Formats: sequence, structure tokens, C-alpha cells
Amino acid sequence: MKLKTRDKVLEARSVTKRFTSKAGFFGPANVVRAVNEVSLEIKRGETFSIVGESGCGKSTLARLLVRLLKPSEGEVLYEGNDISTLTEVQMRRLRKDLQFVFQDPFSSLNPRMSVGAIVEEPMKVHSTLTRTERREKVAELLRKVGLRAEFAGRYPHEFSGGQRQRIGIARALASGPKVIIGDEPVSALDVSVQAQVINLLEDLKREFDLTLILIAHDLAVIRHMSDRIAVMYLGEVVELAENDALFDKPLHPYTQALMRAIPIPSPHSRAIDVDLKGDIPSPLDPPDGCRFHTRCPHASQLCERAKPHLTGVGNGRQVACFHWETVADAQKKPEQLPPRSAAAETRFALFRQLSQRDKKAPASTIKAPSERSTENA
Amino acid sequence: MPAEDSLAGHAVLSVTGLALRFKGAAANVVDGVSFSVGAGETLCIVGESGCGKSVTALSLMGLLPRSVAQIVSGTALFDGRDLLSLPPRAMADIRGDRLAMIFQEPMTSLNPAYRIGDQIAEAVIRHRRVGKQDARKRALEMLDRVRIPAAAKRLDDYPHQLSGGMRQRVMIAMALANDPQLLIADEPTTALDVTIQAQIIDLIGELQKETGTALIMITHDLGVVAEIADKVAVMYAGRIVEEGGAGAIFDDPQHPYTIGLMSSVPSIGPRSGRLATIGGMVPTVDRMPSGCRFAPRCPFARPACDTVPPDLAPMSEGHSAACINAPLETTFAEAGA
Repeated sequence: MKLKTRDKVLEARSVTKRFTSKAGFFGPANVVRAVNEVSLEIKRGETFSIVGESGCGKSTLARLLVRLLKPSEGEVLYEGNDISTLTEVQMRRLRKDLQFVFQDPFSSLNPRMSVGAIVEEPMKVHSTLTRTERREKVAELLRKVGLRAEFAGRYPHEFSGGQRQRIGIARALASGPKVIIGDEPVSALDVSVQAQVINLLEDLKREFDLTLILIAHDLAVIRHMSDRIAVMYLGEVVELAENDALFDKPLHPYTQALMRAIPIPSPHSRAIDVDLKGDIPSPLDPPDGCRFHTRCPHASQLCERAKPHLTGVGNGRQVACFHWETVADAQKKPEQLPPRSAAAETRFALFRQLSQRDKKAPASTIKAPSERSTENA
Repeated sequence: MPAEDSLAGHAVLSVTGLALRFKGAAANVVDGVSFSVGAGETLCIVGESGCGKSVTALSLMGLLPRSVAQIVSGTALFDGRDLLSLPPRAMADIRGDRLAMIFQEPMTSLNPAYRIGDQIAEAVIRHRRVGKQDARKRALEMLDRVRIPAAAKRLDDYPHQLSGGMRQRVMIAMALANDPQLLIADEPTTALDVTIQAQIIDLIGELQKETGTALIMITHDLGVVAEIADKVAVMYAGRIVEEGGAGAIFDDPQHPYTIGLMSSVPSIGPRSGRLATIGGMVPTVDRMPSGCRFAPRCPFARPACDTVPPDLAPMSEGHSAACINAPLETTFAEAGA
């Protein structure tokens, strides 16, 4: 069930985060603007994704949105109230609503705590449940994320990466959150396990009416899961659009380059052509003007001098580029891939059909595993 | 030394029946793996963590300590010699010369205490009778070839002064400095951002065309495979479950694992519904199934699958799969209805 998606759950207003390094032996202090004047809204019930390459500030922005970091400037609004100036104690009550799933399932779980204790901990802080009630809820949550309730007594090292990520998700759900932020929640996992966790997140989102904020670098994962997408480059949002619109016709030259750079799993489309020059500039010393101009194939003199701001271009889309109209028209249309042979299509259909035979039920009713496909990874 | 044209078509490396076992383990971690790669050809070995793809590469390079991993059986013919039975000294002469490798982590595979120019030169001096001057010249030439801008200025940089993509370029320069006949690349772009990954894949492809080096690329990313492979070997739990030309593997996959792997990858094309997934997880070495190693996770498995491990059987010209149910659409004709 989708709630009224019109209203905003979270809003960032011109948020900036600066990190300062101590004046070093070799020189003066460095200031990095990891996130620079970013404004965006997250609507209730949607999956909002933030995509970009390393160092673009996507993880910092995610932490700012749930006040794991305090913004240097600007404000963050949760349910209409500014949370950027709240004290830690005031913030603690809100943590119940805003939960985080981290990238690395190996370092984000306390190795000395049993799985049951890990999942129970948020309930101790945020609820008035009794000990027995909490234990019951732990068992229920473990089942919901596709693990067995008996696993509560075991320790994180006994589990695979995928299972640990499921434990992390169960813990995030324990306080009954409204918003879950996943910082690269599937990027450390193998493809087949990644697909299981993606499906799980989608099921849980539906079941618990969650708003999902996803930080990722993998455009295919984002394409699969998101409603709206923000593309970041060097601390700034360069494009923001609905999923289909963005993938049909990316407007910003960086978004285009990102999409062209993804290798497509088909030997017929050998055409990753990157017309990006060089490396990502250091965030310590971002270029003047448009931050992307040093690598942009469309850059003009204007781009070196002036800074394009994120502006609306209709249909809720925003783009930060002076030349977006010409850029958007100049791009080559991706070629249509020839379909697989009829026999191969049958095989894929068979696989889909048979692999779901054991688990037709949604995640909420995952039963004790049958003899085949036993444990979830 | 330029690549000899006469070699084209002949196998540069030909591995037969390779089986490896870790000390004290209950089953082989690599079990009866065979493949070959010719000059100018690219073979991609694809599989998930723990499938044995990296161990295979390390054993070919002689980089697996024999005290840890035992070669149970198999040969690896390279240049008329069996790599698996070469004494360590002879192996050290080939490694970095005729046979080179690049690794996933460009941060840790370079020595942080030495200038990159010196590190490349060292690789040249180890295998060639050249002076320091000439080796340095060669290093500069190589940095140019891997398209490092202002290479002359970069020669005296330390690894920490370079970005991840640049470090991987340096690694490639070092690997190719002695014109190897075979280059093994183990997940060379996994640690890199997509736009940088695309640049490195382009570079590897171009260099291979220039030099005619045979390339074995180890990866988990089907997108990378589609981009550069001539031949593909899909590995699961220490065995090759399917092999063939890139076209056959992607357009006409036969093994349930290959099909499952491809179904699990989200696509950037039109949005689809739920992803089809492979249930369960990779078996550990001490709980290796005695029949087909994929059977416990395979939606098509029947009792016969648990008896003997299936061998690779030809599906079409140059394309084979190790599944007793292949082709699936015939075996399960009634299920599809």
C-alpha cells in the first residue's frame, strides 16, 4: 500500500558540510566541502537514490539527512521540523524513525554481541517492551529477513556476508523506523546474493510502508529499485529526475557519461565509449565554474567561469548545466540489443518459474527452509 | 620482442585437469579445470567469491605456497613447459617476463616506498640485460603507452601521489614492460569507479591489440566479460560448469548456474519486476556435494544430480555445459507449459 506520496518526509535546504584537516607539518589546514549547498526533498513512501562515484559526497549527504553528521550550513527538515540544530538527546528520540544500513556487513556488527542482542538493542532504547516481548520480536524480525529464529544465539562471524547484511536490516527494522537509509547496502555482496537482498529490501519496504534512501554507485541496482534519483559529482547534485525519465534521456553530460560507462552484459553492445578526460579532480581543490568542466566533452568558456545551478526543467526534473538542451540532443541512442534465442528465453522463463516454486510466499511468511535451496545467503 | 604471428591460433597456455586442494581440506578447491588461451585471445573466467577463480590464477603464477595448497593433478603447458612442475627458480624467471599478472588492489600491489619509475625499471632489470638508464627509458615508454599524462614528470612519483585509476595503469605498465606472452588480470577494475573502469577496460583492450598478448581476465562482473571476452569459462565451486564463445554464453546459456547468474543481475534497460534469484549459497569446501556441486541450489535438480559430478558435454560447436539436464527446455518441456 502506498501512502500519499505528495508530502515530504525529509528535506535538505542548501546543506553544506565542510571537513577541516588540522594544519599539517607540510602546510596549512585543508578544507573539503564534501557536500556543497545541496537542496532536495524526499517524499513519503518513495525510494530515493543518490548515485555518484567515490568522493562525490553521497555518503556524507546520507549521514547529514539523518543527522549522523551536523551540517556546517543549511538545514535538514524531518517531518517539517529542523533537526540540524537539535541536541544529541533530542535527536535520540528521532533515531527510532531514521535507521541506517551500512555497506560493510563485516565491520558494522559488533562481533562480541550475539545476533539476538544486536537486533534487540534498538528495542531496549526505543521501546517499552518487556524482555519476553522483545525476544519474540527478535525471532519475528529474523524470520522476516529470511533467517531462522534460532540464529539469535549465534555470533556474526558464523554468517556469510549476505546473512550479515540481513542481520543489519533486521536491526534497522527493530525500532520500527519510517525511513531507512542504505549506504551501498548490496555492493559488498556477490551477484546472486545481491539479488536476494534487493528483493528483501523491496518486500520489507512495501510491508512496513518505509521510505527508502539508497546510496549506491551501481546504476543497474539504482535503475531496478528507485523512484527518483539524484546524481552527485564533487559534492553537488548535478541532476535529479524520476527513474524512467533519467534513464530514457539523461540531461547532464556527467549522467550520460556514467550511463555509457556501465558495461552491459551482452556481447552485442560492445560500445562503452568514455569521452571523459582524466580523473576526478581532488575534492580539496574543486575546479572553478562548473565542477565538471575539466572532464566534460561539451564544456565551453562559460563553464570555466560561471557556476550552473540546479534548475527545474519541467516534470519535476532538475539539472545543473548551461548546455543541457544541446547536450541532451547530441547523445547517441543506445542500440537495441538482439533478443536471445527462443530456446534460451524458455530456459530463463523456466528458471524464474522453478526458482520461485519454493518461496512463492512474500518475505513476511518465509517458512522454515525446505530441503532444497536451504539457507538464504 | 614482438608477438610472433605464427603463434596466432595456437594455445599460449593450455591447462588440463587442474585440481588443487588446501592442506587438510576435505575436497578439492579447484577440481578438474581445463582451458586454453591463444595469442591475442581473451579468456574470461567468471564466477562468484569462493568459486576458485583466483586460486587457479595464483597456482599458474606459482604464487600459491606449496605448503598451503597442493596440486593434486593437472598440467599447465606454457612455452613448451609445465608451469605446475617447474622448480621455483625457473618459475621466478618466467614470472614477470613471459607471464605477468595484475591484481585487483592497485593500492597494495605497488611498493609505497619506491618511486613508480624505479619499480617498473626493476621489473625490466630483473629479466633483461639492460643498464639503469635503458630500464628507466623503458619505464617512461611504458607509462606513455598506458596513457599516463606527462609521463616524464610522473616517473618520480610515489604510489600515494596517484589516483586508483593511475595506479592500475602503472601496474599494467609494469606487467607489460617485458612484452609477456600471457597476461593474467585478476579483477583489475573491481576497485575502480565506473568511469575509470571503462577507461581501464578500453586501455587493456587496445594494448592487447597492439601487442598480441594472450589475456586471462578473472572477474565476477558479467558486464566486463561481455565487453572484452572472446571465450568465457563460468566457474562454480571449483569446477567449470559452462564454457564457450562469448556469443554462445550470453545468447544461449545452458547451465542453470549461468542462467541464474544472468537473471540475478539488475538491468539498466526497461525496468523489470522482481529479480529471479539463486537460492542458498556457495557450499564450503568441507561440505562439498558429492554429485553436481550446484545441485543443492539448482531449481532443476533431480535425484540423479546428486550421484556423480557431471562432465562438460558439448552443446554446440565450441560450447559445452556440465549439466545432465541440458538442454533444459527439452528436459523440462512439460514444466514450461
